[in-house]
Amino acid sequence: MLNRNKVLRVGLLLVMAVIVTRLFFIQIVEHDEWLAKAAAQQTLQSTIVAKRGEIYMMDGDEPAPVVMNATVYTVIVDPMLANREEIETQLNQILGERRMAEWDEVFADKTRRYYIVAKNLPRAQAEQIAKGELEGVWLQGNTERVYPEGDLGAKVLGFVNADGVGQYGVEGSLNERLAGKDGLLRTVKDINNVALSIGEGNIKTPAVDGENIVLTIDKTMQHNIERLIQEQTGKVGFSHISALVMDPRDGRILAMADTPSYDPGDFGNVESAEVYINHVIEDPYEPASVCKTFTFAAGLEYGVLTPESTYVNQGVTYVDNWPIKNAAQNPGLLGTTTIQTALNWSLNTGSTQALRWLGGSEVEINAQGRERLYEYFHNHFGLGQETGIELYEATGTVMEPNAEVYGIDSTYANMTFGQNMQVTMLQTAAGFASVVNGGQYFAPTIIAGKMENGEFVKAEQREAVREAVRPETSATMREMLYNTRRTWRGNGTDPAGYYVGGKTGTAQVIRNGAYVLDETVATYVGFGGTEGELPEYVIMVRVWEDGKKAEGDTHAVVVFNALKGYVQDRLRVRPAATE
Amino acid sequence: MRKHKSDRIIGALTVILLGMGLIVIYAIGPMRANVMNATYGTDYSDNYFFFRQLFSVVLSLAVIVLAFRVPYRIVRKFGKLFLVLGLLLCALLAVLSWMNSPLVSCQLGACRWFDLGGMLSLQPAEILKLGLVLYLAGFLAEKRKNGMLDSIVDFWLPFGIACGLSLVFVIVIQKDLGTGTTLIAIIMAMLFMSGVSLKKYLVVCVLILIAGAIAILGSPYRRERLLTFSSDESSDSYHIENAMIAIGTGGFLGVGIGNSVQATGYLPESINDSVFAVMGETFGFVGLVAIIASFTLLLMRLLRTANYLHDDEESLVVIGVFAWAAAHVIVNIAAMTSLIPLTGITLPLLSYGGTSMLFMAAALGLALQLSCYTSREPRKEQPRVSRKAVENASPRRRQLRRNV
Repeated sequence: MLNRNKVLRVGLLLVMAVIVTRLFFIQIVEHDEWLAKAAAQQTLQSTIVAKRGEIYMMDGDEPAPVVMNATVYTVIVDPMLANREEIETQLNQILGERRMAEWDEVFADKTRRYYIVAKNLPRAQAEQIAKGELEGVWLQGNTERVYPEGDLGAKVLGFVNADGVGQYGVEGSLNERLAGKDGLLRTVKDINNVALSIGEGNIKTPAVDGENIVLTIDKTMQHNIERLIQEQTGKVGFSHISALVMDPRDGRILAMADTPSYDPGDFGNVESAEVYINHVIEDPYEPASVCKTFTFAAGLEYGVLTPESTYVNQGVTYVDNWPIKNAAQNPGLLGTTTIQTALNWSLNTGSTQALRWLGGSEVEINAQGRERLYEYFHNHFGLGQETGIELYEATGTVMEPNAEVYGIDSTYANMTFGQNMQVTMLQTAAGFASVVNGGQYFAPTIIAGKMENGEFVKAEQREAVREAVRPETSATMREMLYNTRRTWRGNGTDPAGYYVGGKTGTAQVIRNGAYVLDETVATYVGFGGTEGELPEYVIMVRVWEDGKKAEGDTHAVVVFNALKGYVQDRLRVRPAATE
Repeated sequence: MRKHKSDRIIGALTVILLGMGLIVIYAIGPMRANVMNATYGTDYSDNYFFFRQLFSVVLSLAVIVLAFRVPYRIVRKFGKLFLVLGLLLCALLAVLSWMNSPLVSCQLGACRWFDLGGMLSLQPAEILKLGLVLYLAGFLAEKRKNGMLDSIVDFWLPFGIACGLSLVFVIVIQKDLGTGTTLIAIIMAMLFMSGVSLKKYLVVCVLILIAGAIAILGSPYRRERLLTFSSDESSDSYHIENAMIAIGTGGFLGVGIGNSVQATGYLPESINDSVFAVMGETFGFVGLVAIIASFTLLLMRLLRTANYLHDDEESLVVIGVFAWAAAHVIVNIAAMTSLIPLTGITLPLLSYGGTSMLFMAAALGLALQLSCYTSREPRKEQPRVSRKAVENASPRRRQLRRNV
């Protein structure tokens, strides 16, 4: 007889055994597969966007923001949902001039559900629109760089492109520091995409916001230097003027200007990308006779000359059968001439003679002379080397003394007055500063520190990188440059009690491998300060225009003088007390 | 039989399972509230579902005590009444839903509940289950005693009408395959144990299979049900997939109480029909095996009780309760583990909610009461009593039997 109760019992146990076996497969054997499936649908991963650092300039002793972030809004209309009359009256009133679309156009094609009617709308107006709760109108916010000072310092600052990447200037060179590091959120989420705190695999790496960088640039000075060089383009009649103001005592850049410039808030609106280039640091050129400063400083260092050393100036001297002429050809300068006079009148024969003396010779240029000149030009004054400034900079070229090229002697003779070499204005100014500041080479810097939680954290005090020249050499050079400036047009422009020295340069321009006759670039580099004390500023200017001859002693010096007066006042340089 | 103490194991397991369900609802109720609020804009507080469940559990315990205390000889009188009431309510439900009455709650065209406003809802199919168990127990025991189990007119016809009517209401009109499966399990288990001849029993099985095949092929809805079992498109397969993800991620030991992620909205019906899957995620293989073992033990004790009850009717009541609970447990778990298509019935005592828990509690309470009357010896599988044998028996004996 069949025990039916037993049938049910056995049946029940069998079914349960099947279920437990099934569970064993799902939970133990296939566990990892299900974990993967769960992760695929339960994981929320998103980027926590880091806030880009703001950029400050110095406003006296306090940093002032010049590049900030702001949320701006794009206003979008969906013509299918929108009520035209209502929208027209409301948005016309709020947007005013900012409206960039005609209503007829917007409503011409209702199937086009997306029409941008205004861009870069500030928060206040966006809030007004949001309050109206208009159907078919929505706002899209995005973070943008804003420039409370307009186009101030555009060449130094650069801009941020549409992808949020810094381009040119500080934005470009310090992009990583400014950008910070985006954070990552990876967490378990619920069905509505809300992050859950369940589980142990959740990752939340907070975003590291970008650094708020404070530049050494003096906001007011930058503004006025830009204004002055803009004025000067009209006065001296050249389209391009670049200017650099630095503190020779620690290498801080106080102003760096370059005209023509552009508006970083509207960076796309330029004729050519050429305008983004900062000619002070990115465009090596031949600064010409200002380099006599470096040649004579090297001579002083090796003890081969003094300001009173003499040579016979014949108006021209030959190297490799190549004539090296003086620009100044007045007969009064011919004959026995001192080095001071050679500097005053920028005699190329004088600097060429100094190169011969460096080699221990009166008549020939030799390897020792070239090596000694290179040692100072390249290794001491940093010409043809990156200065280490926190910006994109060009390296330039200073030919090595024993390079196996044709006419190396003539190249070096030309280098004594700043031709046949490519250096940036910044390299030249930094080398010049080391000649006049007592002999210390400071790597130029544009970073004063950073803002942390609203507090200005100053960068470390700058130390000299090396001794470029001995203090005595520096003192002699200051005097020589002071004399040069007094002799050459400086007289009368510098008030008593101030000590200003400087040197002009007029460079021929190489185009397609050959010097051209119709164009020269004018340079002036000078220092100034209280009489009897170390200089407080170095100013360098460069004036040029394609196809025009700019002269150091007529054009650049004028610009220098205009800037010098302003810088002197801005830095409150006091005249020495007259007894 | 002299009354003795009830089956402690049945009572203890019932209480343990109720408590376990309460713990799980406590852990995932806030998630459920959160999902509902976020998705449907409702305003459930974190502990809304827990307190409702607590209320249901307390009520269920009260119902167990009530069903345990009210003597079966009184309860049995209501068997036919429950069945008729269940059928009438099903008919009323059908009429009201046809009239689009707000008193009826419908989902996807299937109307299964009376919505009495507020927290009150009633599923008439539950009354039908209880009614069917009580009625069939009495009916089968009487026919068996009278040797009428072979009679078409006296036995098979009324049996077929009562069962057929119930199944038509539930499966065809309410489109509730889950409850229908339970009803079939109850009917077939009780019929099996009634002592009907194995040959006839198998004929009934074949008839049900044929009816089932016709029902499935004749209804697009049910055809889809069957097809979704192997398709990846529908909401049912989404449901099953997520139940499997929950169970699978639980692994050996589970993710721990309150750490279920699937309950945060991925798994539909997380607190009701899918609570087994959430438990799988929470307690792992170990936990599920413990739960299955608890249910198995409970069901085995019911079978044992039925086996030691010498009164046919009482024994059949317990068999009915067994089949009822077993069908719910097996159909629910097998669907969650993708062994059979999803039918949407609750896991007894553990699932959130209402009517189903109360009626299950009533049934178990009754079984518990009957467990007080078991003998020391198991029932003897007696040969079927033939009508002749009954007629030969003295009328006096028959009278005595009736008055037990």
